[in-house]
Amino acid sequence: MIQRECGVLKTSYAADMALYPLPIARKTMVAIAVLFALVLPVALDPYYLSILNLIFIAVIGAIGLNILVGYTGQISVGHGAFMSVGAYTAANLAVRLDFPFWLSLPLGGLMAALVGAIVGIPSLRIKGLYLAIATLAAQFIIEWMINHFTWISGGVQASIEVPRPTLFGHGIASQLEMYFFLLVFVVLAVVGALNLMRSRIGRAFVAIRDHDIAAQIIGIDVFRYKLLAFAISSFYAGVTGVLYTYYLGIANYEQFQLGVSIDYLAMIIIGGLGSILGSVFGAVFITLLPIAIRWAMESFGGALFSQQAVLNLIPNLRLILFGLLIIFFLVVEPEGLSRLWRNIRNYFRVWPFAY
Amino acid sequence: MRKDLAIAAALIVSVGALLYAPTATRAQEEVVIGLLCDRTGATQTVGVNVCPGYHDYIALINSKGGVEGHRIRVVEIDHEFKVPQAMEAYERQKKEGAVLISLYGTPHTQALSQKLAEDRIPGTSPGFGIAASADGSRYPFLFPIAATYYSQAAAAVKFVKDQLGGSLKGKKIAYLFYDNPSGKEPLPVLGELSRQEGFELRTFAVPPPGVEMGAQVLDIAQRYRADFVISHLFGRSPSVSIKELKRAGYPLRKVVAFVWGAAEADIEAAGGFGVAEGYYAMQFAGVGSDYPVLDEIRAMYRKQGQEPPKVMASTVYYNRGVLIAAIHVEAVRNALKAKRGQKITGADVKAGFEGIKGATFGGLLPPLEITAADHEGGGWVQIFQAKGGKFVKATDWFKAYPEVVAKEVKATGIQ
Amino acid sequence: MFDWQFLLLLVSNGILLGLMYALIALGFVLVYKATDAINFAQGEFVMIAGFAVAVAMAAYGAPWWLAAGIGLAGMIAFGFGLERTMLRPLIGRPVVAVIMATIGLAAVLRGVGPLMWGAETRALPLPIADEPLVLGPLLISPIQLVGAAVSLLFLAGFAWFFLKSRKGIAMRAVADDQQVAMAMGINVERYFGIAWAMAGVVSALGGIVWGNLLGVDVHLALVGLKVFPVVILGGLDSIPGAIVGGLIVGVVENVAAGYIDPLVGGGTKDFAPYVLMIVALMIRPYGIFGKQIIERI
Repeated sequence: MIQRECGVLKTSYAADMALYPLPIARKTMVAIAVLFALVLPVALDPYYLSILNLIFIAVIGAIGLNILVGYTGQISVGHGAFMSVGAYTAANLAVRLDFPFWLSLPLGGLMAALVGAIVGIPSLRIKGLYLAIATLAAQFIIEWMINHFTWISGGVQASIEVPRPTLFGHGIASQLEMYFFLLVFVVLAVVGALNLMRSRIGRAFVAIRDHDIAAQIIGIDVFRYKLLAFAISSFYAGVTGVLYTYYLGIANYEQFQLGVSIDYLAMIIIGGLGSILGSVFGAVFITLLPIAIRWAMESFGGALFSQQAVLNLIPNLRLILFGLLIIFFLVVEPEGLSRLWRNIRNYFRVWPFAY
Repeated sequence: MRKDLAIAAALIVSVGALLYAPTATRAQEEVVIGLLCDRTGATQTVGVNVCPGYHDYIALINSKGGVEGHRIRVVEIDHEFKVPQAMEAYERQKKEGAVLISLYGTPHTQALSQKLAEDRIPGTSPGFGIAASADGSRYPFLFPIAATYYSQAAAAVKFVKDQLGGSLKGKKIAYLFYDNPSGKEPLPVLGELSRQEGFELRTFAVPPPGVEMGAQVLDIAQRYRADFVISHLFGRSPSVSIKELKRAGYPLRKVVAFVWGAAEADIEAAGGFGVAEGYYAMQFAGVGSDYPVLDEIRAMYRKQGQEPPKVMASTVYYNRGVLIAAIHVEAVRNALKAKRGQKITGADVKAGFEGIKGATFGGLLPPLEITAADHEGGGWVQIFQAKGGKFVKATDWFKAYPEVVAKEVKATGIQ
Repeated sequence: MFDWQFLLLLVSNGILLGLMYALIALGFVLVYKATDAINFAQGEFVMIAGFAVAVAMAAYGAPWWLAAGIGLAGMIAFGFGLERTMLRPLIGRPVVAVIMATIGLAAVLRGVGPLMWGAETRALPLPIADEPLVLGPLLISPIQLVGAAVSLLFLAGFAWFFLKSRKGIAMRAVADDQQVAMAMGINVERYFGIAWAMAGVVSALGGIVWGNLLGVDVHLALVGLKVFPVVILGGLDSIPGAIVGGLIVGVVENVAAGYIDPLVGGGTKDFAPYVLMIVALMIRPYGIFGKQIIERI
């Protein structure tokens, strides 16, 4: 947090252009890596690991949505459906063709990317809310198709049980094993997205977000890049759906309905649009919020209300607080948690001086 | 800047509170049950009545000294009818030491089915969930404990047959259903029965959220002219179906609803018992307030100097909560007896369920008999009719076409 | 055999229902037209208004007209208050921010309603018969007729308001260009408040009509989902568009349920309007009556 920037002498261009130009930044990275790879999995109870696992899955989905919404400026309210596309593709491959996870997972993502690109076609003509509603339509249409085509959904129950992923003949089932399994994909997703945004494609996305007509004038193929943004974003969503399926052991479209799309939107808006770190913060925040409110209510609510009243109060209050916090963040800190983080970091950078 | 710091401080405090919140110290002899509930989500009108019923029965048992000298502690967590929340809630309940999970909601039951088997903790899904989980050999840790949608479908057909004079040959039955997996689950049973009994079956799907079904109902009443309607709807749609059927001029005494379209709340929302006169509602728990258990609960409240809660008036759902709790307590009692009062595990409770037989609580429960092979306990239902301002019993406990149901259980289920 | 009478029944049902959808859509369009804000909490507005009216009637024994008045007054106050506290700070923010804020608001309302008044379903009885009116081959529900009439009344009222009244013209100016309107001496923020209050009025009436039809509990908010195809088809900022969109959606839903469902064995009712909507969007990206925005750099 306290990044002293003085006293660092760079003697080569390579040092100047390094990814982490300051020693403290390198050390922080190493510390975070050690924390997640070694300390947390050993120190935490399986219950906390299970929360972390849910956060990991959410992080991947949030990054994917942020690529589309935060970086490219296209709105999607249909990401839940893209997740279910990934989930059912992988589930069908895993069950019918016995594909291992390292094959069915990317294929699920690719299928979602294809569907996402198709859904993105109207983005050529329409934008803003009209586009948002078109993706809402995609959400409903995809749900309907999965519900009614039994060759996708595997029967009227629309549920496919998936075997646990195996690695070298070892099944990944416990929360700890799941933790490492998911950690790998989170790291891949974060690094992939960071690199993407530093590439030509990422720059094109940002140009389109800032002004699509201007972007077209400077020679960016707007349609192609919009579709690409939809495809990449949906790939992430598809992978999220697949991981979710492996985590639960079952694919079911009722887990990916409109509410899920909205939760993910909440994540990136609270975390910070156009920021990978923000996606991570948002995923953590939205996943932990209901849990935190419940714990607070369970711990302190008993002092104020009767047992039965607390049970009724907790969920309703949680819903209200959830909504209020979203509004609060939008009103107070429109750029989200990532901006908050930057402000704090900048403050401590020169602490105890004002500037 | 100060503002930002304040927000950051608040965040840190809340995360800290999360990690260091006091975990309740649990006495050795407590039996912990995890209760999943939905009081804020899509099915909240059900949850707010079922879950208090559950708690009241457990409180009653505890006030009488618990089960075999063990108190029962219920860890209720509301999952807002969302699957990730349900996963987290389950892990939390597992951490609290739950030996039994009261599931809530079909998607959540499916999502947790594999987990329950891995952790060897039994879960119950009365009146919803996976119909094929009636087969205890395939789903060893899932217990429907009440009629599944398959059994409900079979019972509905049997009831219609009796109503139409003992034969369904050439009759026209309309199946009005909520267009989601739960709504479609009974279709294979209905199809098989229509072949067996020789009636014509036509399905009318009501897509979620089901707040409007004018066209389907007009079709049933005016074009198809069904002899009887079997309706399987959720949430707000049962009350809408009552109103719409009435509007289309279809007699409600030719409608029988599955268990989730059969509560007082549905009737009230449709405009009261006067409007719904004649409507048949299928139940897996007794309806009404004339059961000894309910008297005991009322007495318990009075002894504490309180009035019995308002939710008790919603007898369909409240009684279901009591029924679920009662069956759970029986299972725990069997488990504790088998272990002679030692600490019980999920597997013990599973065995406890499989020993349940013949506790009917003065008619609140059907004559259940849960075995290792049959986790449904027979698939009993009872049909009530809206008549003169309340639900009146139209049939006694019955089950129908067990061989058809068994065949479908074997053949289908989750892929 | 093609059954004309059945088709007629479906279409008449669709028309009445469409007008009832339009009633809810009107609230959405009003807000968008005047303030460029997108209200994802429209269904929750309807729900909370329904709650207020039903509780006033059931718990306090108010007659229906008084309860309706309380609901209307409450929603007007709510509209003004909401604009002042939540939406004013969001002026000029990206479109997703406002969408998200209203989604947050929806969560708050869904929590507040049951917490304050209980989650159980309440009836909202109006002095209107349940028995259908039989007009030749048609069966018409009186409450739907009332809803449709209210909807048309509002259409006429708003048309007059926006075309003729001073306030309405000022509001159009605000909608067209906030800065120019400000320069012309129009108090933009006040008109934003008025727009939200008007949405509140429409929602209150929607809450009464739909509440009577469905019963009042949180599920009442689900009718809000029906708004999207309606407003997109008609054009987000067009009041006649809301009515036309409502009619199209109502009729398409009913005809789809009557003639497509039996073929595919599933409910196409919710799905058909969306398909239609996407096709319409590809041809006319701003809806049937929507204002075309010409972008410049």
